[in-house]
Amino acid sequence: MTGLPTSVPPDDDTVIVPRADAVIVPDADTVIQLVSVDRTFDSEPPVHALRDVNLTVRRGEHLSIVGPSGSGKSTLLNTLGLLDRPTSGAYWLDGVETNTLGDLERTSLRGSRIGFVFQSFHLLPYRTVDENVMLAEAYRRPRPGRGRAGRRARAEEALERVGLAHRFGFRPDRLSGGERQRVAIARALMSEPALLLCDEPTGNLDSENTESVLDLFDQLSQQGMTLVVITHEEAVSKRADRRVRISDGRLTEESR
Amino acid sequence: MRARSRALDPAAPVDQTEPADPAAPVDQAKPVDPAASVDQAESADPTAPVDRAKSADPAEPTDQAERMDQAEPADPPLADRDSGRRLTARRGRARRRGKARGIERPWMDVRDLWTEALAGVLARPVRSALTTLGTVLGITTLVITIGVSATAGNQIVGRFDALTATSVTVVVPPSQDPVPLVDWSGVDAVRRLAGVVSVAALADSDDTASVQVRANDVVSPGDVTGQTMAVVGASPTLPAAVRGRMTAGRFFDAGNIARHDRVAVLGDQAAQLLGISSIRDSPAVFLKGQAYTVIGILGEVEREQQLSTSVILPPTTAEDQLDLGMVTRVLINTALGAAKQVAHQAPIALAPGAENALAVTAPPDPVRARKGVQGDVNGLFLVLGLVSLVVGAIGIANVTLVTVMERIGEIGLRRALGASRRQIAGQFLVESTTIGLLGGIIGAVLGMVVVVAVSAVRDWTPVLDVRLAFGAPVAGALVGLLAGLYPSLRASRMEPVDALRS
Repeated sequence: MTGLPTSVPPDDDTVIVPRADAVIVPDADTVIQLVSVDRTFDSEPPVHALRDVNLTVRRGEHLSIVGPSGSGKSTLLNTLGLLDRPTSGAYWLDGVETNTLGDLERTSLRGSRIGFVFQSFHLLPYRTVDENVMLAEAYRRPRPGRGRAGRRARAEEALERVGLAHRFGFRPDRLSGGERQRVAIARALMSEPALLLCDEPTGNLDSENTESVLDLFDQLSQQGMTLVVITHEEAVSKRADRRVRISDGRLTEESR
Repeated sequence: MRARSRALDPAAPVDQTEPADPAAPVDQAKPVDPAASVDQAESADPTAPVDRAKSADPAEPTDQAERMDQAEPADPPLADRDSGRRLTARRGRARRRGKARGIERPWMDVRDLWTEALAGVLARPVRSALTTLGTVLGITTLVITIGVSATAGNQIVGRFDALTATSVTVVVPPSQDPVPLVDWSGVDAVRRLAGVVSVAALADSDDTASVQVRANDVVSPGDVTGQTMAVVGASPTLPAAVRGRMTAGRFFDAGNIARHDRVAVLGDQAAQLLGISSIRDSPAVFLKGQAYTVIGILGEVEREQQLSTSVILPPTTAEDQLDLGMVTRVLINTALGAAKQVAHQAPIALAPGAENALAVTAPPDPVRARKGVQGDVNGLFLVLGLVSLVVGAIGIANVTLVTVMERIGEIGLRRALGASRRQIAGQFLVESTTIGLLGGIIGAVLGMVVVVAVSAVRDWTPVLDVRLAFGAPVAGALVGLLAGLYPSLRASRMEPVDALRS
């Protein structure tokens, strides 16, 4: 919030320093706004993983980020996922300027606004499918109307949404790769995120399962979910409304 | 946030009807959490100067209108937007409470923490079971040590109670005075004291401590038939006073004493040495040239055990023949707890006015004796138990550390789901504490079973402290907690980026 003209509520002692270059304030329908984000790793020589990256993702958009390995894809993902901090520049997530937030707030924001979908699914093998999905609500105060008691019902609802109603109570090791990824998506949806952040979601899947997961993405996108998919697969990126390419830390919009 | 955009952008109302915007069609129907009214205050903040100045008032009605919309049910597509609004609202509330920057903090229900930790423990049941072994051994050793020593101590004290604690001995010093300090009839005076169970007087002397005694009068060369043994005089209540039993025949009685009968009772070992096993044919023993008829054998002597190798004569006979007329000791058995008082009163009863000349041997304080016994037993094994506990703790720490390393991916995932470092640490701490607690419970149970079994075999009364029964699991949990500290710290320090990569 620093760097923006802001009214300070009387009980807030945050010191606000206006900054000349940051005048763009994202509106309510902007989920992601990166403003000249740089990320430099202090190695010898320094690695510029992201250079002056500007990116705006509107609510309901389906965006894919493509690029070869080593292009800064992972750094971008980590930055978008609040797992890493940019060296400079501003990152607005769902109306919140994240750079000035503390670790705890970023953690909380990450849990509540971002649904992660990983290449390796990251399901807990020793918990059932529903328990895996329910995990998404474990680390936050229950929201009004979403108490602990209704959690299982909501998990089943989320599983239904990804077409896995018949897999309640199964362990992940009894599911196919595509089903596992859909469980992971259900888990991501469980927290009602503003953004579904997918990192090579089909990297571990065969073509048939890839197809089913991509169909699900389309479906979610139609329902208004904001999707950011990082991939190197043409088939995956083709499905997106918008495609940006990252190479050597720079982002370029691809027209089609 | 919509309120803000509207306030900023005069064209915003158009937004609501504009189908081009992907979010727009749903916009109209957006149900807003009742809490969303707070939204206004919060969402204003990044842009507030503009906002406040421009739209402090106009925005209000808009927001009102929006709230009117809420009646409609939520469509799934709206879910994400809705949550954003709710959260914003929450932030607004948080800000009002003066919380830093108004973002919700990670929070976890204790039940969730417990569920997650228990699932973690049960995920690898065999490993968890093996991990508890160290604690089980340590706690078992401690419980057995403390339990058995308390039981044995109680048992030793019990035996002590039964014999020593009720035994009082009055020693009469030798005197040249022709009038004896203690008379044989003094025994009766002592018997009348409250708390006295049995009493007997005994007369021995250095002269009669080793007397040649033979079982027959035949002197055959090269054959040693004589034995050296002590000869004593005693009052007829002696068997009870030494807690012995007549294994054959009977003890001499008042009649024998009054008649100065030359009869003798042999201690069981003395009888064995002399080859006398039965008194049916009235065997005789010869000492100092006189024959005495053996009328009984005294066995199982618990007090004054030297009597079992002695020849016991009636006091009158002893005085006549061996000059054993002076009472040298009075043996008293008291009721439990009466020893101290009897020890005080007996000398007065025996020798009124000269009680200070008598030496009294009373039992030591039983409480001190019990403590001494327990102290002896405890020390070494207690150290052993503590060492096992430390080993158990190292075991738990080790396995928990391995578990943490194995579950790096899981840690990354949980962090991505919004778990704070503290919550991660908490989960592993609870897991290791649970393992320690399990070990403590199993160890306490095993230990108590062993204590009871030992007691059953040795015919003891098991003594188990309630504090021990409940303290042992707590100690186990504490061990687990301490052991989990370092691994939990390691887990919580992991960067989510690195953790997710693995």
